[in-house]
Amino acid sequence: MRNIFIIMFGISISLGQSGYEIAKRLDEKDKPKNMVNRTSMVLTNSKGKTRNSVMITKTMDNSRCQLIWFLEPKDDRGVSFLKIEHDDRDDEMRIWLPAFKRVRRISASKKGDSFMGSDLSYEDMTSRSLDENEYKRLDDDVIDGRDCFVLKVTPTTSLKSSYSMHKLWIVKDDIYIVKEESYDKREKLKKDKSFSYLKIDNYDIMSKISVKDIQKNHRTDISFDQVKVDTNMDEKIFQEKSLKRIPKL
Amino acid sequence: MTHSDVNNPVRSWIIERVLDNPKKAIFLPVLVTLIMGAGISYLVVDDDMMAMLPETLDSRMSWDAVQDEFGSTEVIFIAFGNKDQTIYSSKSFSLLWDLTKALENLDQVEKVSCITTISRIDSENGFMEISDLQPVRDLSAKQIDKIKQYLKQNPTIKQRVVSASEEYFNIMVQPYEDIPHDVMRNVVVTIGDSVLPAEYEVHYGGTAYITGSVPTMIRNDITVLLRVGLFIMAIVLMVNLRNPFAVVMVFAVIIQSLIVMAGFMGWMVFVTGSERFYFTIINASMPIILLTIANSDGVHFVAKFFKEMRKKKDTKKSLESTMDTLLVPIFLTSLTTIAAFLSLSFAPIKQLMGYGVCISVGIAHAFILSSTFLPAAISLKKWDMSSKAVTRPSIFENLIAYFGKTVTSNPKSILGVGVLFASAGIVGLLYLKVDVNIASFFRPGTEFRDSIDFIDQEMTGTMDIRVRLEGSMKNPRTLNEIINLQDMLENNNKVTTSFSIADVVKQMHRVVMDDDPEFETIPEDQGKVNNLFSMYSMSGDPEDFSTMVDYEYSVGLVTALSRVMTTDEIISIVNKIEEYVGDLKSVGSASVTGMAVVIRDLVYLVVQSSVISIVMSVILIGLITSLFFKRIAWGMMAIIPLSVAVVINFGFMGLAGIHLSHVTALLASVIIGVGVDFAIHYISQYRRLSKISEKNMLTNDVIEDVGYPIILDSASNMSFGALLFSAFIPVQYMGGLMVFAMISTSIGTLTFLAAMAELLKHNLAGK
Repeated sequence: MRNIFIIMFGISISLGQSGYEIAKRLDEKDKPKNMVNRTSMVLTNSKGKTRNSVMITKTMDNSRCQLIWFLEPKDDRGVSFLKIEHDDRDDEMRIWLPAFKRVRRISASKKGDSFMGSDLSYEDMTSRSLDENEYKRLDDDVIDGRDCFVLKVTPTTSLKSSYSMHKLWIVKDDIYIVKEESYDKREKLKKDKSFSYLKIDNYDIMSKISVKDIQKNHRTDISFDQVKVDTNMDEKIFQEKSLKRIPKL
Repeated sequence: MTHSDVNNPVRSWIIERVLDNPKKAIFLPVLVTLIMGAGISYLVVDDDMMAMLPETLDSRMSWDAVQDEFGSTEVIFIAFGNKDQTIYSSKSFSLLWDLTKALENLDQVEKVSCITTISRIDSENGFMEISDLQPVRDLSAKQIDKIKQYLKQNPTIKQRVVSASEEYFNIMVQPYEDIPHDVMRNVVVTIGDSVLPAEYEVHYGGTAYITGSVPTMIRNDITVLLRVGLFIMAIVLMVNLRNPFAVVMVFAVIIQSLIVMAGFMGWMVFVTGSERFYFTIINASMPIILLTIANSDGVHFVAKFFKEMRKKKDTKKSLESTMDTLLVPIFLTSLTTIAAFLSLSFAPIKQLMGYGVCISVGIAHAFILSSTFLPAAISLKKWDMSSKAVTRPSIFENLIAYFGKTVTSNPKSILGVGVLFASAGIVGLLYLKVDVNIASFFRPGTEFRDSIDFIDQEMTGTMDIRVRLEGSMKNPRTLNEIINLQDMLENNNKVTTSFSIADVVKQMHRVVMDDDPEFETIPEDQGKVNNLFSMYSMSGDPEDFSTMVDYEYSVGLVTALSRVMTTDEIISIVNKIEEYVGDLKSVGSASVTGMAVVIRDLVYLVVQSSVISIVMSVILIGLITSLFFKRIAWGMMAIIPLSVAVVINFGFMGLAGIHLSHVTALLASVIIGVGVDFAIHYISQYRRLSKISEKNMLTNDVIEDVGYPIILDSASNMSFGALLFSAFIPVQYMGGLMVFAMISTSIGTLTFLAAMAELLKHNLAGK
């Protein structure tokens, strides 16, 4: 009887939650303070040709600060990238060009610009602010045997998004996104993303991302390994001079 | 004469079946027409010039590789603006924005290149920004000035997006590879005309626009003029046959043959799915050619029938006699013409095989109709024996006697004149030029030509030359060789601009080095080139390079745009480029393609196809007639006047400055198709009458017998001279050449062939 009561209570909570409440739960979920990993990225174009990259990535503050050092391909080894997101001004982005021995500040004036030729844009990689989107809960769905909330997320005009809306599939038990569809301004499906997770130190850490640009028929598969969370990372590393030396993992 | 009077059992059997069961003889061929005609719904019209090139040809393989790696290179250009007004206005930019967005929304469009879509790379105080050249729809004066300044600093980019006079914007629309050009042309023009207000001049151009417009325009033009031609043909036939029923019957044969030919083409596409049976611009001449051949069968039959009626005053007897006389020659003319057309299968342009097969089916059906449907329908009609059609000879019949007398009295002089004409033809052949450039199909001053010329003169030109290079596109040596290649291309005064990945590397290098123009060079080591590409991918979209370099940076594409060139200029520049790229050191392999190369190769193919089809046809006709008449001399007699007519025709083209194109090249088929008909009718009658006529009257009798249908057939076919009024230069030529071909073949048969037969009568007539 007690079990039935718990189940009924759980169902009533699930049914009763609004889109905003689910998004808030997602936003408030515990995240590591910082993270280090080795990132592998495979890009596949419409003709099946691929490009592979391997990077060391350090992030802090929910990826608002990010450092990436390229290990592979050989042509890109030593190139590194620093990004710091700001609320009150444009994000800072710097790139180290080892052959020129120069750091160059760069700008992606369009949020929809692709990052490193992948199907992820800067907007996709930027943390989504809770209050700059509107949420509507759609009918629940099941993905890979797991019950999911389905949310329609519409960016507000202040966000100047390159998308008209997203659909998110959020696993009910653990509250993380397993699937996302993003629609362009013409409301045509642009990207289909899927996510896998690993449990590390009680955090749900993303282990794989697959993004398919439906319109370009281009695909990006990213996997994260050797993941370390809540390390004793100093926030001072997120500066220009860190770009010049590839760290050890 | 009864059926039993016909001494050949096969002929007797056919005549009996047709005349004893006329309704059946009408129903069965009509049923075949209807069944075959149903295939018309499967007919596929294909305007892709590239489809004419064999898949194994180097430039075709290179073209296919370029389309696969870099997307379609056949684009449409739209230029809009106004003379003597600057295009740098807020309104023009808003319109450009709207037009670009509307074009990008089209499912057929892969990419739009213009000020609205291209990126700018700026550098300031160590800060590099890649952003949209036109950031928003509505621009302030300051933003417009910023764009103007950027274009001023980057003249190569400017050349592609703004006219030299800064009065027009240029937009390049790239379709997806599989989109037919006519579809692309229609959607782009619809969008352009709906978005841009009437106060702006709008011009369209580019390969996809031209090849998407011209074949349909030519087909529509030919269709209209063909109707005019048919009307004139009906009048010519009516004046001579003086009986509407007879004219309708000739037309029934022609139209049913056309239906069967088109329907068969459709069925072949349905059954085989082969591109060989697609209706391309080459096939535009098919209806006219079949019309002339089917007309020949019908006219010969009806003319002979009236002649017999005049003697026998009995429909059935006249029909029996006509069929007995003409079944064999019509069968033989059909057989030889089919053989001539099937010889097109040996031509390197693969659509010519479909052309030959389908027209052969039409010719075979014309034979069946002339041997069954036509006599059966005539037998059912009650004829007025006192009508003029039966009792009195026509105008042309009266003229024929003149030929007979002239040839009999002056055979050597006539032969001499013929040889003289043939010699002039041989000289003319030396001046014959080939031109397959569709842009030159229009006379300057026509609206379409003016639009193309505008894009050609005011913008970058619309003819493209592409050089596909294999090798590391990050290697400075390769990139420097590409720069040298571009310099070599731009040295030609018709080439307006060229671009490649090397230009982008130079621009990025300058930007990284604090926008110092001294660094607008290829960096000296590969590490730097690698860094430049990495930097771009961090900030811009590497897709921006997709038309210049492949995904793995292992294949590059150099594009040069040029103004319209003559075919000779094209051949010369393409050969020079091929020689130049052959000497490049740091590239694995290099191949030249683009519309210019397609045109050059098409020239060779058209010439090759024409020569192969003419030579094969003449050989096959010679063989068939020799076998059928059991004497090589008859075979020679059939092909000599034919060959002379071909030489005179092409020689005349050379002397008159008429270019051989993929539209006019097939005119040789008309000459051969119709010419062999005349020759065989002449020879058949000659052989037949040689058994009953006096030797000194033989030529006279033969000409009197076959001369009238030959002249009538020829005169009625000359009605396609209506094509002279076409807006298209090759179609005009086709009209003129049709008239010329009819005169040369008919007069050639009644003089040259007749004179040869007259001179050799002691040899020929006795056997």
